Amino acid sequence: MAQHNLGTVVGFEFLRVVTKKRFWFAALAVPIALAAVFALVFISNSSTDQTAKAQKNAQFTFTYTDESGLVTTAVAATFGGTSAADGDQAVADVKNGTVDAYFAYPADPATQPVRVYGVDRGIFENGKYDAVARQILVAGAQQTIGSPALSAMAQGDVKITSETYKDGQVSGGLDTVIPPLLFLLIFYISIVMLGNQMLNSTLEEKENRVTEMILTTMNPTTLIVGKVISLFMVGAVQMITFALPVVIGYIFFRSNLNLPDVDLSHLVLEPQAMVVGFLLLLGGFLLFTGTLVAIGAMVPTVKEAGTYFAPLMIMIFVPFYVVSVIVSDPHAVIVQVFTYFPYTASVTAMLRNGLGSLTLAESGIVIVELFGLGFVALRLAVYLFRYGSIEYSKKLALRSVLRRKSRA
Amino acid sequence: MDFGSQTVIRDLSFDVHAGETFGFLGSNGSGKTTTLRALLGIYQPTAGVLHIGGKVFEPRDGARLGYLPEERGLYKKEPVLDVMVYFGRLKGLSRDAAAAWSRTYLERVSLADKATTRLDKLSGGQQQKIQLGVTIMNDPELLILDEPTQGFDPVNRRLLMDIIDEQKRAGATVIMVTHQMDEVERLCDRVVLLKDGTAEAYGTVEDVQDKYGGTVVRLLYAGPLPTSDLFDVISADGSSAELAPRAGTDETEILRELLGHGVAVRSFTPARTSLEEIFLRVYGIQNELVGV
Repeated sequence: MAQHNLGTVVGFEFLRVVTKKRFWFAALAVPIALAAVFALVFISNSSTDQTAKAQKNAQFTFTYTDESGLVTTAVAATFGGTSAADGDQAVADVKNGTVDAYFAYPADPATQPVRVYGVDRGIFENGKYDAVARQILVAGAQQTIGSPALSAMAQGDVKITSETYKDGQVSGGLDTVIPPLLFLLIFYISIVMLGNQMLNSTLEEKENRVTEMILTTMNPTTLIVGKVISLFMVGAVQMITFALPVVIGYIFFRSNLNLPDVDLSHLVLEPQAMVVGFLLLLGGFLLFTGTLVAIGAMVPTVKEAGTYFAPLMIMIFVPFYVVSVIVSDPHAVIVQVFTYFPYTASVTAMLRNGLGSLTLAESGIVIVELFGLGFVALRLAVYLFRYGSIEYSKKLALRSVLRRKSRA
Repeated sequence: MDFGSQTVIRDLSFDVHAGETFGFLGSNGSGKTTTLRALLGIYQPTAGVLHIGGKVFEPRDGARLGYLPEERGLYKKEPVLDVMVYFGRLKGLSRDAAAAWSRTYLERVSLADKATTRLDKLSGGQQQKIQLGVTIMNDPELLILDEPTQGFDPVNRRLLMDIIDEQKRAGATVIMVTHQMDEVERLCDRVVLLKDGTAEAYGTVEDVQDKYGGTVVRLLYAGPLPTSDLFDVISADGSSAELAPRAGTDETEILRELLGHGVAVRSFTPARTSLEEIFLRVYGIQNELVGV
């Protein structure tokens, strides 16, 4: 019967959230905003491409003087340029519109500026003068070097592969750090998106005076567990809704949106780090869920619940204030404190796990701590709901509730 | 049952027989709701248990218990039918059975057209009907109603009483907290009167009437009402009065005494003291009213 009721609670709690218009309004607001941004980027990039092509193809007349000796007549001619005998006359020709531009190359372009004079064609189109003046100089310099390979190296166009070792084995570097840190990302998204709902999950029963009906109809543990499961399902729907436009945008419009080409095949999934990361995520989620539901069972209104929500949220962001210490000196006292203090432990341990500075023993201690305290918090939440939520209009005195002998 | 250092219920024990309707009476703050909550495990009692059919009651999934609390409420932002089906399923009905039962009930209480309406869009009385429906789903064996008529107009109060009566006829045991003494007299087999957390009176309605009120004489008259050693005047307004015979006094002697003093008696009706009268006496309000 309990199993049947758990399914009933999960179904009821899940459906009554996802069938509400306001849920979809909130859930779709971010994807719609993202889609709008993508669309603007897409349109903008298309426009920029067209403009660039148009500029590339657009010929303009210009003259130049060269004191450096780097500019060759042939290169300048391909851009439509001719040599000018007198700089002042060339500037005058630009001013009266006889030619579109005049470039004055100094004796030492490395230290002296190339002066560009041009007929104003608008802010965006004026850029072509700089571009052509620069390209003519680069082409001239490359011809002077005389080797395309040397030219590429001179521009820093060099490919490097690196290999590092840990305990005699090749370590994956950044590619091993990213996968376990994804658990941290999931943890943040879950808590930030669902935290408020967790806090308010049992408040509804109090505010609507449903508690007595519930307590005489079903086991409160079933209700709380059912609510947590349904919250997780709601969160999954929200995450999918958020992620879908990004995935679609990446798969189908990556080049149009100028998104980087991420090669996921390079990522290295280290079994230990992944298992530890997953367990830290579950333990942290359990602890925060239990704590937030317990707070919800204690206070009479949403407004009052909010005062307890902020400190908990701060706890999960505090470790980032010492992230440089976590990276450089994981044995520092502050890092150790954050690693074992329950409400900072999950984030700190997940960071250290990703960075490879969390030992197996430390992982074990933190995981046991998170799961242990998480179950205690959930048990407390059930107890408070069981014996405290009947106090409809006042905040529960935790001490007086705990003093009562449990029969649950 | 203690709250901090204050004892709210003490040494209270009573039996409710299977199939009977039991009245739980008392003034505001006398401990009725607290007792019910303690019995149902909503409050943690300092001591004591509720036995149902000889077994200690533990709130558990699927118990055939219908409880209408004093503090009413359901999921206000959900449609009526969804909430009813949800509670029906929690009480062990299938989805289809719960939906069918709910529709029949809504038809019965003239709310069939509100099945898809959100609860908070209904009037207070309509919400009360839904709450009662949720309470009696799945034919409870034990029905506990804390002030069931609260918030009902006379027409709907009668409808509600009929529904409770049907449940009783179907075999349910009913425990009812109410301040409507006429309903207690009409529906209840036995009662307990709670005062300051203890049972002031306990037994059948007739037992309590005999013990606390006995017989009264309802009198319609003209002329001055004499003082007498044979009776006490409970109330008198110059044309009607209620007299309480003193111990060992026969009603005939009272009639003779009145006639002997020249009282023009138009009607002389011996009757049992009403529960309302007893209620007023037990809680001391009677004396204050007579004093006024």
